[in-house]
Amino acid sequence: MASPSPQQPSLLLPEAPKRRRLLEILGAASIIVTYVVLVLTQPTDIAAGPGSLAALAALGGFLLGAVLLVVAVLPTLPTSTVVLIPIAMVLNIVLGQFVGSTLVPFYLDAIGTVLVAVLAGPAAGAATGALSSIVWSLFNPTVLPFAAGAALIGWLAGLAARAGVFRRFYLVPFAGFLSGVLGGVVSAPIAAFVFGGTSGLATGAIVSAFRAMGDSLLAAITKQALISDPADKAIVFTVAALLVYALPRRSSFQFPFVRRYRVLAGRAPQGRGTATQA
Amino acid sequence: MSRGTLSLERLNPLTSLTGAAAVAVITTAAGQWAFSLAVLGGLLALTLRQARAAAVLRAATAILLPFWAALLLVHGLFFPEGRTVLAELGPATVTREGLLFALDAGLRTGVFVVAFLLFSFTVRVPELLSVLSARGLPPRLGFVVVSALTLLPAAAQRIRRIRAAQEARGLVIGRSLASRLLAARLQAVPLVLSLVHESGERAQALDARGFSGRQPHTSLRTVPDSVPQWAARRVLLVLSLAAVAVRVALALFGGRA
Repeated sequence: MASPSPQQPSLLLPEAPKRRRLLEILGAASIIVTYVVLVLTQPTDIAAGPGSLAALAALGGFLLGAVLLVVAVLPTLPTSTVVLIPIAMVLNIVLGQFVGSTLVPFYLDAIGTVLVAVLAGPAAGAATGALSSIVWSLFNPTVLPFAAGAALIGWLAGLAARAGVFRRFYLVPFAGFLSGVLGGVVSAPIAAFVFGGTSGLATGAIVSAFRAMGDSLLAAITKQALISDPADKAIVFTVAALLVYALPRRSSFQFPFVRRYRVLAGRAPQGRGTATQA
Repeated sequence: MSRGTLSLERLNPLTSLTGAAAVAVITTAAGQWAFSLAVLGGLLALTLRQARAAAVLRAATAILLPFWAALLLVHGLFFPEGRTVLAELGPATVTREGLLFALDAGLRTGVFVVAFLLFSFTVRVPELLSVLSARGLPPRLGFVVVSALTLLPAAAQRIRRIRAAQEARGLVIGRSLASRLLAARLQAVPLVLSLVHESGERAQALDARGFSGRQPHTSLRTVPDSVPQWAARRVLLVLSLAAVAVRVALALFGGRA
């Protein structure tokens, strides 16, 4: 059988989407495999110092996964979403930097990410989360390794929006809480193995309390994350929902994702919304 | 040697990025506090030769001081794996192993933070994005990053203007939580509304200029590079891989992770 000539493109599946799909799968696989490897091979005796190999695996695996997801997703997004991402990043950084400098065991650094996820879907949310960490790391490099966790929160927020959670306000904090549980569990090994167990004074105090009870470092940080992250994300999802509800309908319904999955309650305004963005 | 004689701003952005990443990887792979301390000392000496030394040091101090305090709190006082007890303070126990753990993790993070701050404060972002786009990263990444960096100061200025406008309308921020929440809402909603509204207009303008085109983009910017820099990047890459390989070998055969 003659092979197709290089000039003849496949009629079944274009080459670029196939490559992007592969990058998406590789990115997600890199994050999942890194997490499983870290949990299974965590250093049992940390008295000799923080484990180097676990830190290298956490840094490399999570960062590679986040970058692959960004490279795969970014070219597929409509322009209306791409221009929204920098705004989300600015909101994340401005609000997160403020809260990070206070003695509150919350981060509130994902309001913009959740906002984009609600308006533009899970892929846009994941790309915003990862990109936000990468740009923020230009001012504070310690947030760079958490890019995969931030991408996960954006993706979960987009899935919740697609499922219609944001049509009923009372469900929003619960979706945030559940996303926070997953996000906290994924981020805990980074805090444990890359940064020696802390990402701030307030969260450090909670980790200390669990360590005083004899928990291992990863167990103490995971428990701290399970206290801080679900409450943090419940607040973040609620604030993002209130901001989306405050937008004029012609602004929120200009996004194809909002119209297609009926993300928000009520009808789309007639005329302008469907005409501006396809 | 005077300030600016070892300026990193003259380097190709890929060289300084590779340098920062290599320093972080090699220090983490080495896993020795004395080595981390020596590298941190070298980085600080290099920082002092830069024109933006004060900005790098200010940012590093703001990040690292609370971080080191938290490490001391977590490991200095509570370290159940510690064997050599130095002091007992009620429920807290200061152990030699706990302090060494905090020192090790603190210095390693110090190297990571200073290396990447040195990179980000000396790199020209448009040049970096141009180089990365030429190596296959999506050109939209450049737009997103540069747009965010431009929007940051603009958004901060807009928040000040919105607050001034709301105060002119009678907003008084009291000490109570309810008053602060109301003030936050009165400032956040107009900010987000205006930013989202502008983004819609920007999307139309960009689409009209072929932003969504799938054709390869031509860069008008040429970033200078040189053979020594190309060689330095290769050497740094090989050193990083070698450091990781030695660490993996030690973990597999020497039992030290």
